[in-house]
Amino acid sequence: MMRTIEILLVIIIITAAFIISSLFAVLPSPRQVSPLNLRRLALTTLQTLDVDYDLSEIVFKPEDDSAWGELQIALSACLPPNIVYNLTAYEVLSGSGTELYTFIKSISNAESLGIDSDSAAYLVASSNVTFNVVPEKVGEHGGGGTLYILNCSDANGWWITGYTAQSLAEDLYNLLSPYFQVTIMVQNTTQLGQILDGTQLQNETLQHAVVINTFGEAVPIPSSYASTYDRDSYAEYCYQLGKRVHQYNWTWASIVGYPLYYVSNTGYFTGSGDHNTWGIYGMKHVGPGGLNAFLRGLDNQPYSYSGSWITGDSDDDIGLASVQLSSETLYYSNYYGIYPSPYHTATRALPSWITGVYNLDVTTYILVPVGNWIAGAVYRHTVSGALLALGLTRTPDIRLTVMGILSDYKPRLFRSEYTAAGTSRLVVLQLGQTGGI
Amino acid sequence: MTGSTIDHLVSVTIFLGAILLFIGLFNQTIQTAILYQRHKHLATKCSDLLDNILLNPGYPIDWGTSNCTPTSFGLQDPEFTQYRLSPFSLMRLHSSTGEPVYYPKTDSYYSNITTGYGFLLVPSAEAINYSTAARLLGVNGTYGFQLTIMPIITVSISEVQSNPLKLAVDVTGAGFPLSNAVISYCFIKVEATGGAGAYPAYTAEYNTTLTDDKGSALLNFTDVDGEDDSYVLIVYAHLVGLVGVGYHEHVTSDKQYIIPFIDNFEERKVLIAHSYDVHYFGPPVAELSYNATFVLLTEDFTLREMPLGPGKIGKVNYGEGKPYGVVTIPTYNPGILIITYRKSAVECGVVLMPWGISSMAFPVTFGDDPFGKEWVATDTRQVVVNGIAYQAKLALWSLEGYGVIG
Repeated sequence: MMRTIEILLVIIIITAAFIISSLFAVLPSPRQVSPLNLRRLALTTLQTLDVDYDLSEIVFKPEDDSAWGELQIALSACLPPNIVYNLTAYEVLSGSGTELYTFIKSISNAESLGIDSDSAAYLVASSNVTFNVVPEKVGEHGGGGTLYILNCSDANGWWITGYTAQSLAEDLYNLLSPYFQVTIMVQNTTQLGQILDGTQLQNETLQHAVVINTFGEAVPIPSSYASTYDRDSYAEYCYQLGKRVHQYNWTWASIVGYPLYYVSNTGYFTGSGDHNTWGIYGMKHVGPGGLNAFLRGLDNQPYSYSGSWITGDSDDDIGLASVQLSSETLYYSNYYGIYPSPYHTATRALPSWITGVYNLDVTTYILVPVGNWIAGAVYRHTVSGALLALGLTRTPDIRLTVMGILSDYKPRLFRSEYTAAGTSRLVVLQLGQTGGI
Repeated sequence: MTGSTIDHLVSVTIFLGAILLFIGLFNQTIQTAILYQRHKHLATKCSDLLDNILLNPGYPIDWGTSNCTPTSFGLQDPEFTQYRLSPFSLMRLHSSTGEPVYYPKTDSYYSNITTGYGFLLVPSAEAINYSTAARLLGVNGTYGFQLTIMPIITVSISEVQSNPLKLAVDVTGAGFPLSNAVISYCFIKVEATGGAGAYPAYTAEYNTTLTDDKGSALLNFTDVDGEDDSYVLIVYAHLVGLVGVGYHEHVTSDKQYIIPFIDNFEERKVLIAHSYDVHYFGPPVAELSYNATFVLLTEDFTLREMPLGPGKIGKVNYGEGKPYGVVTIPTYNPGILIITYRKSAVECGVVLMPWGISSMAFPVTFGDDPFGKEWVATDTRQVVVNGIAYQAKLALWSLEGYGVIG
C-alpha cells in the first residue's frame, strides 16, 4: 500500500512539474509565429509616399493644412485594410552633440495598434534647405591651379555645330571655375600668344595650368606665331603648342573631333582662299599632321612632319559607333553631379600605340577603350604635359570635357553639415494588425 | 508477502502508465514548439528572400533589357536604390497566370500578361521561368514561392453613357478610396480614315480633374459616340506619391485586331500580328492596316510621342505567305506602344502594349501556386516601379515537409 501511495505522490510531483513547466513554456500566438514584417512594410510605405518628395513637403506644412488629410487618405489607401497605423512627425532640433525631438502632429486610423506593432522612422529634410558645397581648388596643395579657357573673339571654330566657342567657354567657366584657383578667359589670339610666350595675363600661375580649346577641331593661332611657324600648313605651330604644353606642364584639352586639324585667326587669314574648304573663313587647313606634330612637341622630340591619319572611325565598324562612359567617369558623374549621356559615337578615336611612341600614360579613361582605340582619355607625358582628347563626332558635349578634367584632378567636395535648425523632421510610422489572433 | 508484491505490481503499473502519459504530454508540447519554430523560420526566410529579390538588380544588372539569362536574380532598378524595381526585369518574368499564346508564324510560345486590349506577350524562350529563378535564389528543391507584384492603386473605368460618351473613373487603394486625387487622362480616338492613304490615325485629348470623396470622377466626351467610335482612355491618378494607372477601350472591330508580340528585348523589336493567326473566329478574313506610335509618360502625366522608325505603318493578314509587321521601340524608357488598326472605313480599333510593365500598371504573378500547400508564409513590401506604386507580396512554403519526429 505504501508503494502505491509513494507512486501517487510521484505522479502528483510530475503533474506539478508539468503544470509549472507548461506555465513557463508559453507557446507564441500564430501571428507571432509567422509575422508580417511590419517594420519593413512601414519603411517601404514611407519611401513610396516620399517618392516624389510629397511626404517631405507635407510634414513641413502647418498642422491644419489640408495636405495632412491627403496624407492620411494616401496612407489608408496604400495599406491593407487589416493594418492600423499611427504616423507621427517630430521636429528635430540639433544642438551641441544632442538632438531633441519635439512632437508636431500625429495621424492615426485606430485608437490602439493592438498587442503587437512595429514601426519605422524616416528622416526628411525641408525642400527650403540649400546645402552648401565647397569644392577643393585644383593646385590648392601644390603648384598650378590656373584654368585657361580659349574664348578668342578673333577665331572661328569647327565641329562645334550649334554652339559658338564663346558659348561653350561660358558653360565651361560656370562648370569648372569653382574647382580652380584662377580661371582666365583668353579673349583673343594676342592673349593666347602672351601665355604661349610665358607672360602672365592676371598674375596667375602659368605652370601646371589647364588649357581648354573650345574651338573644336580648330585652334586659334596668334598672328606672331602664324607668321613664324607656318611650315607644313601650320603643323609647325601645333608642334610649338606641344612644346609649350611640355614646357609649362599644361594639360591641353581638345573637346571634339580630330585635335588641331585647323588653325584660325580671322584677323590674319583674310584672303579669299583662307577657309577650311567647308565655307568657314579665317581658317587654314592643317590636317592630321597637326596632331602628329603636337605629340612630337609634347614628347620634346625634334620637329618633323608626318601627315598620316592616325584616328579610328565609327564607320570602320570596329565598335566605335557606341562607346560608353568608363566606370571611373560614371563614379565621378555621381560625385560631382554632372551627367553626360552614357553613350557616344567616336569618329576620331586615338590609337593606343601613341602612348608608347610619345611616352604617354593614360591617367584617366573618360570613355571605355574599344580594342586598340581610345575615344576619350587624358594622356599624361611621363615627364611633363598632358593631352585630353575626346575623339567624338560633333556636336560636342562639354560635360565630357569637364568630367575628364575633374576625374583626372579629383578635387574633393566638402559638403556642409546637416545641422541647420528646423530643417529636419522625423516621421515615425507605427503599424499594427487587427483581426485574428 | 503477497500483499507487498501486489502493492509493487500496482504501483509499478501506475508509475509506468503515468510516465507514458507525461511523455506524451511533454512530447506534444515539444512537437508544437518545434513546428512553431519551423514556421517562424519560414517567415524569416520569406522576409529575407523578398528583400533579396527586391534590393538587388541581379547580374548582369541590365538583364531586364537584354536577352541574356541572369546569373544572379534580382528585380531592383539598377539606376536606383531601395525598393525601386525595374519595369523591364519584371516584364521578363514568365507569368504564371496568363495562358501562354502560340504564334505559328514564329513557331514560338509567348508568356501572356494580357488584360483586355492591352497586350504584353513575351517570348517564353527569353522569359525567366520559375525554376531558373528558384535556382538562382538558392531555394530550388527546398522552398517553393510565388511573387506577386500588384499595383496599389486600382483605376477602374466604366461606361455610363454611350452617346455622347460619359465614362466613370473609380480610384481605390488597397484599403480605401483615393478621394481628392488628381486624375490626368489621355483620350485617344481612332480616325479610321485619318491617316495617310488607307492607314488609320488617332487624335489625343489631355485633361485633368479631381476625384470626389468616394474616389470617383465623371468624364464627358461630347463629340464621341461610344458605340460607333473606337477609342481608348488612359488615366493616371496620383495623390501624395501614390500613382496608379488605368485604361478603358472600345473598338468597332473586335474580332479582327492587331496583336503585338515582343520579339527581342535587346533589339527592342515588336512583331505586329493579325489576331486570326492567334484566335481564329472564322471567315471572312480581312487585311488590317495599322499605324503604330510610341509614347512616353512625362512628369506632368501627359504622353509624349517618340518617333518610330521603319514599320510604323503597314498591313498584315492571316495565314501563310502573309508576313507580320516589325517595329522597333526607339528607347529603353518605359512607355506605351499604341497601335491603331483599320479593317474598313467604319471598323477600326486600337490596342496598347506597355513597354515596361509600369506604363499601364500591369500586375505580375510569378512562381508556383501556393494553393493547397501545408503552411505558407507571406510578406509584403511597398515598391515603386518607374514612379507607379506597387505592392510586392511573396508567398513561401517549404518543400521538405513539416513532419516532426518526437
